Amino acid sequence: MSTAPGKTSGALQGVRVLEISSLSGAVCGRVLADLGAEVIKIEPAGGEKARSDAPLIPTANGEESASWLAYNFGKKSVVADLDTDAGLADFGHLAKSADIIVTDFQRLSLADMDRLEPIARAANPAVVWTEILPFGRGHEYEDMAATDTTLQALGGHLYLNGEVDREPVRIGLPVGLVQAGAEASNAALMAYYHALRTGEGQRVDLSVQEVVIWTLLNTTMAWQILSLNEMRGGAIRKERANRFYTRLVWPCQDGYVVFGPVGGGGGSARIKSYAALLKWMAEEGVTDDILTRHDWNGDGQFAIPQEDYDAVTEVIKGFIETKTSGELIARAVRDRILMAPINSIKDIHENVQFRDRGLFKPLQDPDRGLEFELPANWVRMSETGLAEMAPAPAVGADTAALLAEVSKVKEAS
Amino acid sequence: MTKGIFEGLKVADFTWAAAGPIATKQLADNGATVVKIESFKHPDSIRLGGPFIDDKPGINRSGFFADFHSSKLGIGVDMNHEDALEIIRPLIEWADIVAESFRPGIMKKWGLDYDSLRKINPRIIMLSSSLYGADGPWSQHPGYGAQGAALAGIQHMTGWPDMPPAVPKGAYSDSVSPRYALSALMAALIHREKTGEGQYVEMSQIEATAQLVAPQLLDLQVTGREAQRAGNVKPNSILHGVFPCKGEERWITLECETEPQWQALASLLGDLDGLTKARATDSEALNAHVSQLTAPMDAFELMETCRQAGVPAGVAYKGSDLLEDPILEARDHFWPLHHEEMGTLKYNGPAYRYDKTPGQLRSASPRLGEHTDQVLKDVLGFTANDLAGFRDKGLLQ
Repeated sequence: MSTAPGKTSGALQGVRVLEISSLSGAVCGRVLADLGAEVIKIEPAGGEKARSDAPLIPTANGEESASWLAYNFGKKSVVADLDTDAGLADFGHLAKSADIIVTDFQRLSLADMDRLEPIARAANPAVVWTEILPFGRGHEYEDMAATDTTLQALGGHLYLNGEVDREPVRIGLPVGLVQAGAEASNAALMAYYHALRTGEGQRVDLSVQEVVIWTLLNTTMAWQILSLNEMRGGAIRKERANRFYTRLVWPCQDGYVVFGPVGGGGGSARIKSYAALLKWMAEEGVTDDILTRHDWNGDGQFAIPQEDYDAVTEVIKGFIETKTSGELIARAVRDRILMAPINSIKDIHENVQFRDRGLFKPLQDPDRGLEFELPANWVRMSETGLAEMAPAPAVGADTAALLAEVSKVKEAS
Repeated sequence: MTKGIFEGLKVADFTWAAAGPIATKQLADNGATVVKIESFKHPDSIRLGGPFIDDKPGINRSGFFADFHSSKLGIGVDMNHEDALEIIRPLIEWADIVAESFRPGIMKKWGLDYDSLRKINPRIIMLSSSLYGADGPWSQHPGYGAQGAALAGIQHMTGWPDMPPAVPKGAYSDSVSPRYALSALMAALIHREKTGEGQYVEMSQIEATAQLVAPQLLDLQVTGREAQRAGNVKPNSILHGVFPCKGEERWITLECETEPQWQALASLLGDLDGLTKARATDSEALNAHVSQLTAPMDAFELMETCRQAGVPAGVAYKGSDLLEDPILEARDHFWPLHHEEMGTLKYNGPAYRYDKTPGQLRSASPRLGEHTDQVLKDVLGFTANDLAGFRDKGLLQ
């Protein structure tokens, strides 16, 4: 795997990962591949089910999954039927050569995981067996059906999203599963670090529910400390266990910005941000007693009445509505106002900060007739590079070569 | 007691707010010695965010702060003091990892950028995690995870089509970034284990979070379609929604992707004919009909029945429900830890379990400067006289 000039190859060069996956396992493999690991997908004949996950895009092969392509580029593919002796023998040979194996509940049943792990372990005691389960192991619900939406709910995040007068609303992305994949990559690497130093492999079991809990940040503390169950809100909500509502989403001329000018907690950055906003408003002749009636971001913010929060919000809202998103952000960046545009997908693709940092890397995939960019450059490492962009594998593209390699190793040993 | 994975690993932790501390917490909970360095004149900002014990703000009273600082030691140093390096330099010599999450430039101002650190300790691994990244036109713009979520598309994808975007709870990008940061940090540690070479790892929270919309970015480029927020609609499912149940603010998610799941749900809701008719009309009619049927039902009982029938279902848990969830209890997800000022609180443990090297939350969050003397004496080898000298010149709290 070659890398940028002056750098050795990826930090995980020489690490071999087997992936028996759907979405979340593939995201785990994605992170490991980005960091330089060789990731080999083990697929059934005809390819894994996630190859047809929505959204589908037209390619030279007909239709393929954008999600699958985005999370599986640069990997290898071996076809093995894990329900036959021959397939299990191939799996054992591959496991012997591997450092990490990752799987997830949408691809394998718990019974299949229990069947495969001992085969891998017998072949390779040092291997890290990583499984992504809805609720983890160790209880009567470990084999229950679940989906990303189920887990957004049972992780406590769903309840906190949406308008107060409608039902809770999910994040419209499979965030539980994707975040679980990313979490599995670091949990697996920690176990691999241990195996590297001691020769001891082990099982890592990961709960998507617990991954979602780690998106809440202070919800379980708010209940324990204040007997307060936080309530959802849309543009206006109670933040950070506050007892009062503040506006967080502000309409501007051409979209929305997110901004917490008042009552968002303490810290000098918030105080300076509010002062910079007032200065800008004053320059344009917008003044009002309410703007300076309280120390809006100081210690007393928790005691300010709701009607005053509402009144200050009206004045600020009137000002923001006269500006475009571009005007707001230019000034915000210049004067350190704690504001950001609510980027659409297109906005992300064009965002000046992402562009300037080189987040996007081009990928040519002539066999599919595709050429696109992905946000692949997500970390800068001074001594080791990230993997080069290469197309996602055709089903079984590497079966012959890899099985020949591992069976040769077997014969030699 | 089995030793944690990182027994013997030493971390000088300058991170603050959420994303950085959540990453270093996991090193600490898995056995690393993590020393959190706080500038006592400018303590960690989330010490100023609620919930506060007894509802009274105070520097050592925030549950928000506490949850991200289990198993860590805390020292208070005036980082802007001209002699701060008298204490920090030996800490860098001691450390395997230096982690920080300040606005880019702060570490350099203190003489602690990577080039300076590696001169002190050539094997050092340094992690810098910031909201926007170390360079680029926005690098100096201050911000929080709610801004990060907005920039990375999470807010765009959340809410109702007829309403402004609904801000997802919390500083969402602060929850994504640590997962990627830890993987990169682990890769650097593994590389060092194999080659002896340390390195600098630099990350942006919004770049990590943008990984969640990689498929949508690809779809946009190939087809021109731009994904939009769509409430609780999920294409290609027979049923997918959030439905009311009995009681105040009780909701359940129900989902049918297959005909057997649909049959099972229709049967346990007890109205196959009505549901079949509603399904034939449209999803709006179906959701309305399901809502009528679930409204008088107990959410937890319905979830249990669905689970037995193989239908994905989840009560929209409130904070209090999480603390009573039998699965989380069986998993020992929450760790009761005692803190001098806050009493005993249940801290969140990691989302993963190791069967050979279990993690352990060893102690509650440090009070500001709680371990200053302990760390300076036991870890760095300073004498009582040294400490008195540092205090005399205002270096220590």
